[in-house]
Amino acid sequence: MSENQRNEERGLPRVKPATDIVETEDGFYIYMDMPGVSKEALVIDLNEDEIKVSGRTAYPASEAEEKLIHVEFGNGEYYRGFTLSHIVDKHRINAVLKNGVLELHLPKAEKAQPRKIEIQMG
Amino acid sequence: MVIDFSPLFGQQTPLDRIFEAFWSPSMAISQRPYAYPPVNISETPDAITVRCELPGMDISEIDLTLTESSLAIKGERKSAKGKYYRQERPTGAFQRVVNVSAPIDREKVAARMKDGLLEITLPKSEASKPRKISIDIA
Repeated sequence: MSENQRNEERGLPRVKPATDIVETEDGFYIYMDMPGVSKEALVIDLNEDEIKVSGRTAYPASEAEEKLIHVEFGNGEYYRGFTLSHIVDKHRINAVLKNGVLELHLPKAEKAQPRKIEIQMG
Repeated sequence: MVIDFSPLFGQQTPLDRIFEAFWSPSMAISQRPYAYPPVNISETPDAITVRCELPGMDISEIDLTLTESSLAIKGERKSAKGKYYRQERPTGAFQRVVNVSAPIDREKVAARMKDGLLEITLPKSEASKPRKISIDIA
């Protein structure tokens, strides 16, 4: 997905949110920087092995008398997709949006319990 | 864009930035050639507003210092513990200084944070507002 690709309907630039992927003992964590995205504007789609995250920023429109002096960021649409590994338990995925950072917790699936086979002497 | 050569070759003009954006379409948001954090500054007749994208920071972790002519935004972004497979989010200490040219009413400075956006309102002091003076012509 090209980063500078324009979203046709709103004319918003589409950006890939900066992402960290961390593995800990209780599974994987994906952190995405999505400043300006409210909980209502965030969409997380899980389809088979693919997880897609998108969100639109909703910065307040500047008032008529407000004059912009210096601009480095603006409204945009964040979009990013991931393919999940089979070791992730898809039913227990948990998402938290706090201070503009989306935290996805992907717990590892319970491993199949190793089974010991008793050998009977015939 | 891992190594930024631009400071050796003088100031980067806005045209250079446009050219660079076309040149490297895969440029990630964390590697853009601006300083961190990105800042928007706007002005009304009554106040100057500084907006700043600071995802993952709590307002209590941000250190704001207002001096005679500048506003400094300081803080540190910490990283999570664990095994990193991918790291694109910037971490570590950051500082951004915004020059403020108008006299500010220090008592009324307000800062708030929502969804990773920091908004600092610097009301201009009464003395700096333009006043209409009528001159009687004799």
